[in-house]
Amino acid sequence: MNPIGVEPYIVLSMVLFLLGALGVLMRRNAILVFMSVELMLNSANLALVAFAREWGHVNGHVFVFFVMTVAAAEVAVGLALIVNIFRERQSINIDELQQMQG
Amino acid sequence: MEWLFLAVSFVAVLAAAMMLTRRNAVHSALFLIVNFGCVAFLYLMLDAPFLAMVQVTVYTGAIMVLFLFVIMLLGAETTTDTSGRMRWLGLAGSAVAILLLLIFAFPIASDMLSDESPAPLDGRARLRVINAVPGGDGAEFTVMEMGFAMPLVGTLSANVALDALDEAMPDKRIDGVEYNDPREAIRAYRELDAGAYTIAVGVDDGSYASGPFFSKDLALAAESATSLVIYENAEDLIDVAVLTDDLSAPALGKMRLTLFNAVTDRQVSLVEVGQYTDRRSLCDDASCNSLIPHRVVIAELPAGQHTSIELGEGSYNLAFVDQDQTVLRTLANYQADRGLIETRVLVREPGIPGSQPSYRAAVYNAMGAPAFGSPEAVGHVLFIEYVLPVMLVGMLLLVALIGVIVLARPDALAQAERRRINRRRRVNRPLVSVISQQTGADVLSGDYVAKLTGGSDDPPGE
Repeated sequence: MNPIGVEPYIVLSMVLFLLGALGVLMRRNAILVFMSVELMLNSANLALVAFAREWGHVNGHVFVFFVMTVAAAEVAVGLALIVNIFRERQSINIDELQQMQG
Repeated sequence: MEWLFLAVSFVAVLAAAMMLTRRNAVHSALFLIVNFGCVAFLYLMLDAPFLAMVQVTVYTGAIMVLFLFVIMLLGAETTTDTSGRMRWLGLAGSAVAILLLLIFAFPIASDMLSDESPAPLDGRARLRVINAVPGGDGAEFTVMEMGFAMPLVGTLSANVALDALDEAMPDKRIDGVEYNDPREAIRAYRELDAGAYTIAVGVDDGSYASGPFFSKDLALAAESATSLVIYENAEDLIDVAVLTDDLSAPALGKMRLTLFNAVTDRQVSLVEVGQYTDRRSLCDDASCNSLIPHRVVIAELPAGQHTSIELGEGSYNLAFVDQDQTVLRTLANYQADRGLIETRVLVREPGIPGSQPSYRAAVYNAMGAPAFGSPEAVGHVLFIEYVLPVMLVGMLLLVALIGVIVLARPDALAQAERRRINRRRRVNRPLVSVISQQTGADVLSGDYVAKLTGGSDDPPGE
């Protein structure tokens, strides 16, 4: 039994999500942007697990499992893209990646 | 617990903030690993050991290694710079973060720390009721015209009040527990606060409900599991046996079988009989001088008693025999699955008076659900309820794998390299040098050059 309720975990996940969002907006290094996205995914996972604990329902864990799997696939593809972009332009500053800008 | 949570969450937030502010990408990645480790610890605190394991192996193991690998491969440790026009965003974001912390986190944290009351009762107790009284009274049966027996009167349905004083409280009553009740809600354990109870058993046969005619003091320890077996004792009186169930996992590769003997006049043994499953008796001859080959699993259990054994995984041919070596009930091809915790209650079925009695070994499976958040529980939900999403995610991983291979195939890389070299050549070798090379004329001097380079329509370098 867990004497701590669900609220502290949700607040923590909120703070971590905010930090991740800040990272995405502030940093220009594509790898760091990527890591901030991972941080946001993790904070969402934490909220899911906390709610699963609160409701005694294991489905939340399953969703977290899926999120982790998708994140692993996303990281693999994303890092491959970053490597290719770096080879192409010798830079991974996302401000310089503007070809797709309409 | 609160201090632990606060400490771990503080480290998590600190690591996340450090990750954001470090100039060196490798340092950022290392701080992110610290953060993921803290989150894994929080998963453990949230009763999710399986996810904690996956978090450590997948996130801090695989994904972060991939990140570090790419950072070091590209030599991109310090290529980052916070662009100046985004600095206001950082300030605003930090302000919002601190505001959120002040609004939400501090009241909760101070609540958590100032809570001087003792922690709520940690463990609860589990209780279930098993009705092992097949009929109200052995004599009260009606033989119907078709020739088979039907217990018409007095199929006992027990009402158990957990506290004699609190009978009216619905959550402290377990009503209508029927013989061999198939309802999951009745067969499952229910959670109660640990403590001392007075239980009262009443009868409900559908037409009238008689008041509690039996009561007993019962102490429920925290974290314990108890089965109340209502049975008929040797004096044909309703009695209640208290079984303390051991719900801890059996030894590896074994199952735990608990046998309760509710047959009043028999001492029951459980034996393994091999291929002799059709014998009515263990005796090999009429005078019982020799027995068929068998192996005793549980020996001579008196009425109203229970015992537990652990059986190795596998298939068994089992038989319940009484003290006269008469086979009461055969369990052919009994499947002992690993990890199973089972309670069997042997009762005499109601039959036509005077005819051969039949016996029944009712099953009460104790393993309702695996522990919350355990690999078993998550795996059960994953592979039974969510098979299709699991397949889709597997497909997604496969597609991602192929995508990465396509992105990184040497062909594509070589192409990109060639394109880059071409572009550089175009940029680095202005038209003048090409002309001078082809004509042999020295055009790289004087105003010729100024004219050529000034009017050149080379695209501006990137």
